Amino acid sequence: MAFFRRYATSAFVLCGICVLVGCSKPAPEATPAPAAPPYHPVASIREVMNSVIDPNVDVVWNAVKTDIDHGKQIEHAPTNEEEWAAVRHSALTVMEGANLLMMPGRAVAPPGAGSLSPGIELAPDQVRALIDKSPSGWNQFARSLQDSVQPALAAIDKKDPQALFEAGDKIDEVCESCHQVFWYPAPAAGTSASAR
Amino acid sequence: MKRNIFLVLLAVGALCSVQSTYAHHAFAAEYDPMKPVTLNGIITRMEWANPHGWIYMDTKEPSGAVKHWMIETAAPSQLSRHGLKKADFTDGMTAVVKGYQGKTDPGLANGRTLVLKDGRSFYIGSVGGPNDGAEPQ
Repeated sequence: MAFFRRYATSAFVLCGICVLVGCSKPAPEATPAPAAPPYHPVASIREVMNSVIDPNVDVVWNAVKTDIDHGKQIEHAPTNEEEWAAVRHSALTVMEGANLLMMPGRAVAPPGAGSLSPGIELAPDQVRALIDKSPSGWNQFARSLQDSVQPALAAIDKKDPQALFEAGDKIDEVCESCHQVFWYPAPAAGTSASAR
Repeated sequence: MKRNIFLVLLAVGALCSVQSTYAHHAFAAEYDPMKPVTLNGIITRMEWANPHGWIYMDTKEPSGAVKHWMIETAAPSQLSRHGLKKADFTDGMTAVVKGYQGKTDPGLANGRTLVLKDGRSFYIGSVGGPNDGAEPQ
């Protein structure tokens, strides 16, 4: 028993030291500088809008419509796998295009470009200032655009023309909401309706 | 494979060919709030489409010549909410459209109200258009 008491105390202290050493944090390493992102934006936001978003959302919008010609209703909707695939391609392109809009470091417009409608639509530097003032707001609108196309994508996958048509209206609402904040806000535009 | 690619391109081309050629812009970039127009004529065609509908109307000029108008309307869902139906657009129908003329295209207009021959009146303006009293109260 005395033998046990004699060595138990030493063993207990030794275990305690091991536990403390084992649980202590390693020496902190110097925080590495954030690496440059691997991507490289090439097109400006205006170019992404004109080359990626707009032409493809037009395909989604125009996929289902009614042309009433001299009172005769002519329904337009994708009629085969290839046509549905083409609309799906465009819907996906818009959704992924929204990611392009959120990438930091993208210019608003090509160098030297100005407002397309001075006094009505903001100049690129004014748009830049608004984005820089509220990057989270900008990203939220881009995400909303992405989310607004989701019902359209679901409708396409179900080959449901009516649902696709109804989804189109919601996409436009998101477009307008963002444009009225970042592109032609009411004070600058005087009026704020869209025109296509 | 080549045939499939060709068919997809053909389908995309067909869809693109019927699209409106107007890019997305602010109202005041395309239309002149200082140029209100009242168009009395025959509606020949209506595109019940997103994001905006389009009414095609023929009016008669004082000279007797026919002028073709392309009139933007709100989205179909909004037209429906205001009571307008696709079936309201009949062959040879006459109507009166009030709106604003295009800035650069004299045959372009943004519609605010549509009055049919039977007297029914509909608000057809885009959301957020000029505050001219045409908005439904």
